[in-house]
Amino acid sequence: MLFALVAATCASLALGAVSIPLSEVIDTIFGRQVPEATEKIIEILRLPRTVEAIVVGAALGVAGACLQGALNNPLASPDVIGVTGGAGFGAMLVIVLFPGSIAMLPISALFFGLFAAAMVFIIGFTGRGGGNITRVILGGIAVASLFSAGTAAIMAAYPDRVPNGIYFLVGGLTTSGWDTLETVWPYLAVGFILAAFMIRPLDRLMLGDDVASSLGSRPRLIRFTAALAAAVLASAAASIAGLLAFLGLVIPHLIRLLGGTKSHVFVMPVSALAGAALLTAGDTLARTIAAPEEMPVGPFLVLLGVPLFLWLLRKAA
Amino acid sequence: MAFGRQQIEFDESAPLLDVKGARVEIGNETILESASLTLERGELLAIVGPNGAGKSTFARAFCGLRRPDGGEVRWKGVPLSRLKGRQLARVRAYVPQRAQVPTGVTVEGAVRIGRSTHLKPLQGLTAEDRRVVEDSIARARMQGFEDRDLSTLSGGEMQRVQIAIALAQGAPVLVADEPTAQLDLGATAAVSRMLRELVASGIGVILIVHDLALAAAIADRVVVMSHGRSIATGTPDEVLTSQLITDVWGVEAELVHREGRSALHVEWLDSH
Repeated sequence: MLFALVAATCASLALGAVSIPLSEVIDTIFGRQVPEATEKIIEILRLPRTVEAIVVGAALGVAGACLQGALNNPLASPDVIGVTGGAGFGAMLVIVLFPGSIAMLPISALFFGLFAAAMVFIIGFTGRGGGNITRVILGGIAVASLFSAGTAAIMAAYPDRVPNGIYFLVGGLTTSGWDTLETVWPYLAVGFILAAFMIRPLDRLMLGDDVASSLGSRPRLIRFTAALAAAVLASAAASIAGLLAFLGLVIPHLIRLLGGTKSHVFVMPVSALAGAALLTAGDTLARTIAAPEEMPVGPFLVLLGVPLFLWLLRKAA
Repeated sequence: MAFGRQQIEFDESAPLLDVKGARVEIGNETILESASLTLERGELLAIVGPNGAGKSTFARAFCGLRRPDGGEVRWKGVPLSRLKGRQLARVRAYVPQRAQVPTGVTVEGAVRIGRSTHLKPLQGLTAEDRRVVEDSIARARMQGFEDRDLSTLSGGEMQRVQIAIALAQGAPVLVADEPTAQLDLGATAAVSRMLRELVASGIGVILIVHDLALAAAIADRVVVMSHGRSIATGTPDEVLTSQLITDVWGVEAELVHREGRSALHVEWLDSH
């Protein structure tokens, strides 16, 4: 998987509207003398985009693994805690209502993604019987519907401005330099660190709440912390690359099916690598296959991922 | 995690567990009125009582799974309220009545998770931890099953894995809620022998049991519970008299118990 990621990264840096030999790519990264145009393409266009693909893919893979473990439900993805609905609403709000401040898009998506997740957590984790999985999931579906309705309402009110938002809604990376990453990296860092600390507790939860309690863990706290890590990672990912929640659902499944184990010690880090590799490779394909036209990577990944996923699903059964 | 927490000083001369008047309320309802017990080292204590007497609630309360609302619980002299997560995990292991059986987890994988309370968040298993895992599997008599997926095990095998997970915790007390309730005769005998072996090795065991004959045969002492109270404690022969069985279960029965064999002679149908 690490090899796949390295290969995808190299391809992502080398290929594009202009192909650059791998040796020049390496020379650029290590600061050696290369043609000025090459240096510009790599440093300003491709490197940020490749790094974005890697972190977004890893964030979604980890977010999915965290949520599926926390909710003990293989259908869990960032959709079920409202993040996708919230981030979509936040983005459309800026794109359609305030197109003049388009720079606010990542922040708005991040904010509303987290806001939606916070609503779900308040409904799902507080009060009597808080932490009940069904309650969290039902709360998530309700909140997601709420924000989807909000998004639909905005789109209905300004149908002429909708096309600008499509790219975000279907999910895709853009060549935007380092700006977005500079804003959201602390959220990604917090999310990844939280997720790393949840690896063992999620393994304990796998054996049931009582065994986890016997082992000194608090099941409700584990669920909350893991879901929080997922919410932060998925919101940050959405603010960079739009709605790619499908990756979060599918990656951990692929890893479990391929690896034959559910242990988070394996699933969590390998999901990060696989998510990064898949998104980097997918994005490279999406922007080279019809170059110089770029396709959004979201539908592209779905087209590639669904047949693979379905094939594995049948094979495992 | 013990970061910055004060070290807990266990009193090695105190009983392993000492519970006085534990009380549990859920909502406005008192599920457990007042229950008490003590457990010494190398002792097997059985908690018996009719359905709904509060046995499981009692065990969950003193194990800290649902902390009691009243009374006093001390593990090796230290109040339960002072024991947090990992410290509690090192003093007692709890084996639930109905275990969750995930697919995609091997026997060894599950027992390693049982050992994880001894590790820092991102630390791997040490050679010592691996030895404990291996030893726990052996003590639970599950050698040869290490690579089997949990979902392929029988009820008796799964129960032994649960006990192996608990043993890997390395706690001096094992509390098991109805470990033999779902098992056939042979598997029940196998688990019972294994538990006695653990007791012989110095572990204190608390069992919640339905089967009075089984309790009489394997327990050193029994605690009888009724309507949320512990009403009698002592050796099986002292406590499980026909009079008590009639009072608590409302059935005419006589317990026959000698040399590790036991039977309950029950008057199933009214003879009058």
